[in-house]
Amino acid sequence: MRIGVYFCQVESGKILNIDAIAKYSANLPGVELVRMLGIKPKLIPLTLCKELKDNRIQRVIIAGDMPGYYKPVFTKAMAMAGYNPHEVRLASFREHGATAQDSNDRAKAIVACATHGVPFALAAIPKETPVHHSTLIIGGGIAGIQAALEIADAGKQVYLLERTGTIGGHMAMFDKTFPTLDCSACILTPKMVSVGQHDMIDLMTRSELESVSGSPGAYHVKIRKRARYVDIDACVACDICSGVCPVKVPSEFDAELSMRKAIYIPFPQAVPNAYLIDPDTCTYIQTQGEKCGVCAKKCPKECINLNEKDEIVEVEVGNIVLATGYDVLDAKKMEQYGYGIFPNVFTALEFERMTNASGSTGGKIVTKTKVQNKKTKEDEWILLPDGNPPKSVAIIHCVGSRNKKYNAYCSRVCCMYSLKFAHLVREKIPNVKCYEFYIDMRAFGKGYEEFAERIKSEGTFVVRGRTATVEMRGDQMIVNGEDIILDKVIEFPVDMVVLAIGLIPAPGTQELSTLLGLTRDSDGWFSELDYNGSPTDTERGGIFVAGMCQAPKDIPDTVAQASAVAAGVLKSITSGKGIGHRSSLSLSEIEQRAQLIHTE
Amino acid sequence: MPIRVNPRLIEELDFFGAEDVQYCYHCGDCSANCPHADEVFRFPRKWMRTLQMGLERKLETALEPWLCYYCGQCSEQCPREADPGETMMSLRRWLISRYDFTGIARLFYTSKASEILAIVITGLLTGIGFLWYGLHFGNIHIYDGPGAFLPSSFIHTFDLTLGSVLLVILLINAFRMWRLTLYNERSVPIPWWLYIKRIFLLPWHFFTQKRYAECESKRSTKIFMPWIIHLSLMLGYVIMLVLVMAFIEQLQLGPEIFWPVHVFGYAATIGLVIGTIYFIRSRVFKQNQVQYKKSHSTDWVFVVLLFIIVLTGILQHLFHRTGLLEVANIIYIVHLMAVVPWLLRMPFSKWAHLVYRPLAMYFASILRDAIKIQEKKESPVPSPALG
Repeated sequence: MRIGVYFCQVESGKILNIDAIAKYSANLPGVELVRMLGIKPKLIPLTLCKELKDNRIQRVIIAGDMPGYYKPVFTKAMAMAGYNPHEVRLASFREHGATAQDSNDRAKAIVACATHGVPFALAAIPKETPVHHSTLIIGGGIAGIQAALEIADAGKQVYLLERTGTIGGHMAMFDKTFPTLDCSACILTPKMVSVGQHDMIDLMTRSELESVSGSPGAYHVKIRKRARYVDIDACVACDICSGVCPVKVPSEFDAELSMRKAIYIPFPQAVPNAYLIDPDTCTYIQTQGEKCGVCAKKCPKECINLNEKDEIVEVEVGNIVLATGYDVLDAKKMEQYGYGIFPNVFTALEFERMTNASGSTGGKIVTKTKVQNKKTKEDEWILLPDGNPPKSVAIIHCVGSRNKKYNAYCSRVCCMYSLKFAHLVREKIPNVKCYEFYIDMRAFGKGYEEFAERIKSEGTFVVRGRTATVEMRGDQMIVNGEDIILDKVIEFPVDMVVLAIGLIPAPGTQELSTLLGLTRDSDGWFSELDYNGSPTDTERGGIFVAGMCQAPKDIPDTVAQASAVAAGVLKSITSGKGIGHRSSLSLSEIEQRAQLIHTE
Repeated sequence: MPIRVNPRLIEELDFFGAEDVQYCYHCGDCSANCPHADEVFRFPRKWMRTLQMGLERKLETALEPWLCYYCGQCSEQCPREADPGETMMSLRRWLISRYDFTGIARLFYTSKASEILAIVITGLLTGIGFLWYGLHFGNIHIYDGPGAFLPSSFIHTFDLTLGSVLLVILLINAFRMWRLTLYNERSVPIPWWLYIKRIFLLPWHFFTQKRYAECESKRSTKIFMPWIIHLSLMLGYVIMLVLVMAFIEQLQLGPEIFWPVHVFGYAATIGLVIGTIYFIRSRVFKQNQVQYKKSHSTDWVFVVLLFIIVLTGILQHLFHRTGLLEVANIIYIVHLMAVVPWLLRMPFSKWAHLVYRPLAMYFASILRDAIKIQEKKESPVPSPALG
């Protein structure tokens, strides 16, 4: 069969060495014609037809990042030339994952398979490997908890790694979940307790991945367990240590709205339910034992060891699940909204903590109160439970999301949680005016649209048009915006502004990706193997992604993905066959296989 | 009345410089940020929408693009980098071509080649013409007075002829603008006395460009430099134009400096030099201000030709004073070779701006008053506030 190979790219083909691939493809059996068409060529069926006829080409291979784009032209040309139009085959580099720097061999194999008329996926099934029965899960948020419970309930060992002192992640900070307005803690806390008590789950808090070696099915993992300085088994969470600790720092769990001590428990329902010491702020640890140490003296159980050291734990696992979650964008970057300048501009996480019954205001939505700091004699704004409730609240959508200057992508959850905020505001404060400023309302899930309609019918003013700026006029905060439906430029006087801030990958995602040899997409999230077909796998065999670390998603989707990951892990364990790295086959092996399938 | 949609309008605007309109997703940041957007005249977002929808007829009758002075605050904050400021600028170019009955504006804005070709041809024709005239009727060794190479009386007649032709074109276009924006677009009846009541706005906006300064009213760190430079360039330009049109004979006197006329010439030259250098520098180095990031070919033609004109103008003046009359005469020819194509370009670019912008502000305030009168007639009770 006489074969013609056409190279044409849609985007610049700088990642791959197209010339080398073309040279290679010219030596493949049957290839008579190799043409380089460059980036976005303008193809004319008539000229192509003439070329095909002149060279008596019976099969056309279109090779490139998105060759399907040009298929219609070639099909037409083949038909015009009187050849079989079905003999136009695609060698798609992007579809088959030849997108990284060192995937020239993979691209060559893709072209080779196409010339044989063999699907690449068939010829390039990775080798299967035996699988170790235990699993490592990185990240103890809802995704990690769900995956851990599903795998452990199936009777397989799980190591659950968590960087902070407790599992629970962001979901533990929330008050209500959308669209059902269920209590977030009521869903999460039982799961957390199950994790803490499960025989098959080895929970490692304050731990981070140190190194990974080995191959799919048999990873050798080194974990750094940072010192907690408190014996988890002995601690009864009596709070005496925290009472005597002199150091006060903003609480991370409370979105820095309230203060915690250097020895603290993140929240009362924390798992493991034990105190821990923040070594960065503890006086004893910072002065290397010269000062303080009062907590250790006062502890009735004598479970505080201020001289504890980090330890390295080594485990063998078959699969690794990434569930590292997200972080929020720094709202101070967007000066126009006045976050950090005006006291009553809150981020979504801060508002979430404020409205939570376990938060510093006991669930009351109040504006900040001006208080004089006794030490510095300066006025500062703090949240007090008896503060004034706002008369009007503005919730601004898409802050830092869908914005080419910050995040080009949609953070996917903001519309819904903003609507939830509007409900909570109107539920907790009588006669409050609540404005939602949105660009496009993305209420896409089951029951979401109904929820949005419900919020609108409750009397929240849903204004199309995101506000441009927040400014202070005297004591009154003014939100400037354009109401696009009314076609008016308007100013809203409000007492409180909530910014539906965009989401970014969790800190450390980049380090983790280099450690594990994973690729990330242009926005920084972990890349899945195939967006539609295998959304939980990665290109490295035996490594899975669950939850936000793959892309922004809400709690139902996160839980669903975590369960899907558990199914994938359990499949590999029960079948005893894990799928290896996609790069485990060499070029010649794929060529041989393609040849074999072709002759069969 | 059904609205006719032109789906290719957005592509057409590409030629005028608005390349990113389709990215706009209507968050309204630009309109809320714009210091000039008000109850009646809202922009730029509304016009981004109109453009995306291809409502050509509506765009044609718009006054809003002329109310914008391109301070760039909209483009600075635009989350989609759709560049609303540049879109308004492009709409002004497009509107000029719409008002223009000759079709020249459209040709120049959409085809770089034809613009450059026209400049080169008119420049060469001017050069040849004046050289021929000078060599036949004049003496290259004489700059002014009887027997001059290019006698100022001749230049004066030439200027006046050319100027009046251009002025007529411009006035016809201005009339067409009025017809499109106020006459045809009669959403409200406009009482005739409003035209007289508001007439003072024309010279006011022409000579002060007050709205350019008002662009800074919302910014925390105010940048008045572009306004001052723009104003000094414009004033220098207008003074020079008046001098050339009316006082060319006195201007050419020499070698002694004729202060009553020349003092104006010097003042105008300072304004022109500062202005051209500032704008060329801004466009070359694309300083941190949004409005200079993109430069349409016509912007370049304007500043570069102006720079040549100013430079040759200064040089011939200097050579005339220092007695190098032959050099002065040759530079004079070069000067004219730049002036004539530049002047021919003017009714379709900067003069158009000079005329249409104050006109638009004048029309806008008339329309605003007319709407108020209409509202009073229709509902004596003020409409309820939102919410």
